[in-house]
Amino acid sequence: MTDPRVERLAELLVGYSLGVQAGQLVRIDGSSEAAPLIVAAHRAALRRGAHAYAQVSLDGIAELHVDRATEEQLTHVSQVERSEMERLDGLLTIWSESNTRSFTRAEPDRQGRYIAARRELSSIRGERMARGEMTWCGTLYPTEAHAQDAEMSLREYEDFVYRACHVAEGDDPAVHWKSVAADLDARARELSSVRELRIVGPDTDLRLLVEGRTWLAAKGERNMPDGEVFTSPVEKGTEGTIRYALPAIFNGREVEDVRLRFEGGRVTAAEASHGGEYLSALLDMDGGSRILGEVAFGLNYEIDRFTRNILFDEKIGGTMHLALGSAFKSAGGENVSGLHWDMICDLRADGEVYADGELVWRAGAFTTPAPGSTRSDAR
Amino acid sequence: MRDSRIERLGEVLVDYSTRVAEGELVVIDAHGAAAPLVREVYKNVLRAGGLPLVRLRLEELNDTLLSEGSDEQIDWVNPSSWDIVEGADVLIGLEAYTNTKRLSNVEPARQARLGRAHKAVSDRFLERAAAGELRWVGTVLPTNAAAQDARRSLSEYEDFVYGAGFLDRDDPVAEWRAFGEELRRVSGFLSERGQLRVVGDDTDLKLDCTGRTWIAAAGDVNFPDGEVFTGPIETSVEGTIRFTYPASFHGREVQDVRLRFEGGEVVEATARRGESFLREMIAMDDGARRVGEFAFGMNEAVAEFTGHPLFDEKIGGTVHLALGKSYPETGGRNESGLHWDLVCDLRARSEVYADGELVYRDGKFLGGVIG
Repeated sequence: MTDPRVERLAELLVGYSLGVQAGQLVRIDGSSEAAPLIVAAHRAALRRGAHAYAQVSLDGIAELHVDRATEEQLTHVSQVERSEMERLDGLLTIWSESNTRSFTRAEPDRQGRYIAARRELSSIRGERMARGEMTWCGTLYPTEAHAQDAEMSLREYEDFVYRACHVAEGDDPAVHWKSVAADLDARARELSSVRELRIVGPDTDLRLLVEGRTWLAAKGERNMPDGEVFTSPVEKGTEGTIRYALPAIFNGREVEDVRLRFEGGRVTAAEASHGGEYLSALLDMDGGSRILGEVAFGLNYEIDRFTRNILFDEKIGGTMHLALGSAFKSAGGENVSGLHWDMICDLRADGEVYADGELVWRAGAFTTPAPGSTRSDAR
Repeated sequence: MRDSRIERLGEVLVDYSTRVAEGELVVIDAHGAAAPLVREVYKNVLRAGGLPLVRLRLEELNDTLLSEGSDEQIDWVNPSSWDIVEGADVLIGLEAYTNTKRLSNVEPARQARLGRAHKAVSDRFLERAAAGELRWVGTVLPTNAAAQDARRSLSEYEDFVYGAGFLDRDDPVAEWRAFGEELRRVSGFLSERGQLRVVGDDTDLKLDCTGRTWIAAAGDVNFPDGEVFTGPIETSVEGTIRFTYPASFHGREVQDVRLRFEGGEVVEATARRGESFLREMIAMDDGARRVGEFAFGMNEAVAEFTGHPLFDEKIGGTVHLALGKSYPETGGRNESGLHWDLVCDLRARSEVYADGELVYRDGKFLGGVIG
């Protein structure tokens, strides 16, 4: 039986997130595990008059490639794929793993070169998006593997995912997301006048300079679910200490109880209760990997728990995340790095944030509603 | 459970059928249910030094397009299809239907429309193949759906399919090379003849193949394989033929087809079941009324009808003709969005004459005639 939530999600993705219009060329990427959502999104795109097709990936092929390819094969990107990316008006990427750890034993070097070569395609995508030539959205279709990471049954995990995307029941999801977008935009405008943020919590007292930077709203267009406001802090302006109670995950590997000290914008001391070596290795990746590239407020209160998937974790309502590494040019950020590691700081129990000395956030929520908010569930 | 026959099939397709070489772009175009074979083919392409590109098809998307799409959407051809047709060195098609009858309730006119829309791409594909610029092979991975059509259990059907490809033998590639020699003796013989006359139950058909090339199909385009085929002179087909086996096309079945030709064109078409579909297909375009291919099926390991054209047209002791598009490498010139193979069993009470000489009786070429 088709889950009606899948149809609602498909319609939301195609209509609201991608804004598909008649005559557009739309591709849906996903593994065969995601077939129900692929089929529903394809239908939704056809109904809007688009030309839609799917690029279905097969479990295990990428692993096979990294394992057995020659150097030439490993880094080859076909002209067919390049041309496609140059042509698309809309691209929907559905993440849907049947095993989230299938690359664990791959040679990191070879995997790295494979990923780096294929980054050519996402760069084309990024440039075309920046020029307004195409839209893109990444989402997730629930599988047992993702449920396992979240420590839930598949049924529970489906409920979690569809609630986070606000497609579970009731009102039109697109109407909900439009009102979320208005709130997030207002919040981002408000924060853009702030000079300095101070985050205070257990073992945490961190000052970040954000003066002159633009806060942006992530409102369901490029990720579904979504719900955060973010910017790139001034590179030399971070001072103090922060402790991350939630595990920090990078490329599937977890580092627990990370504590960082910043001086003059750079990490000068780093500790972890587990995975400290991995943490050190990543901090030493390049010249930009000890500097923050992002600071953000997670504002999706329909995501209420940690599930080991950054698509959801960074949006948990009541958290902040600070990413080490590359910054967003669109926010005014300048830091360059091969790293972008989102670490989530849970401020729901007792955390406070001050903006230029004024308390703006306490116990996981802004102290005032977003300017002009009409949402009854606004926090 | 691992089936070593799938592993052998992966090897045969890459090493024998398409002879993948270093640096070649190899497009693997497959149904989702062919996953185990896709992985085997992929491994072998990597080993051969090729550059594999997988294009997996979800059958359901076609259902949606054909049942809900506008004419404009059905007419649309993905530009990537052109990129692949122009850029691929090798194309390996892996069919694995999970339901062979899923399009039964789609309007035939819409299916015909989709066929017409993709005609230019498939023409270009055949043109590059005929020019030797692109090598391709199509095969089938047994599924329950195909087994159901063949009225067999999945494991019986697997035995049938892999048996037809000699994959249950010690050295499938050597078997295919030897069989290829036999097929080439027949195609060589027929290429020197012109007029053919096929006589059987309710069948007396004349066609002229003078100047056309007979091609031995030995597993390098279809797999399994085993036929010799040509494209007869388009205006030459005269007489009647009755197709003993049901004919399936795009998931629709037509039974007991009888055709009468005059001046190369079908002038009368009847069927016990599916007659209106038959007529609709024949009316698709001008070329759909003409014969694009005529062939002898010669694979003795395919002894029984199973309802799948890939196998049925190879049954040792049958002939088939295809209405519609001809293969340019035969010298055939018929153009159409259709290519529909119809199979006629000649294993009993039948004769074939070449330029008036009896060369074939009851399903076999006569030993004294062909080396």
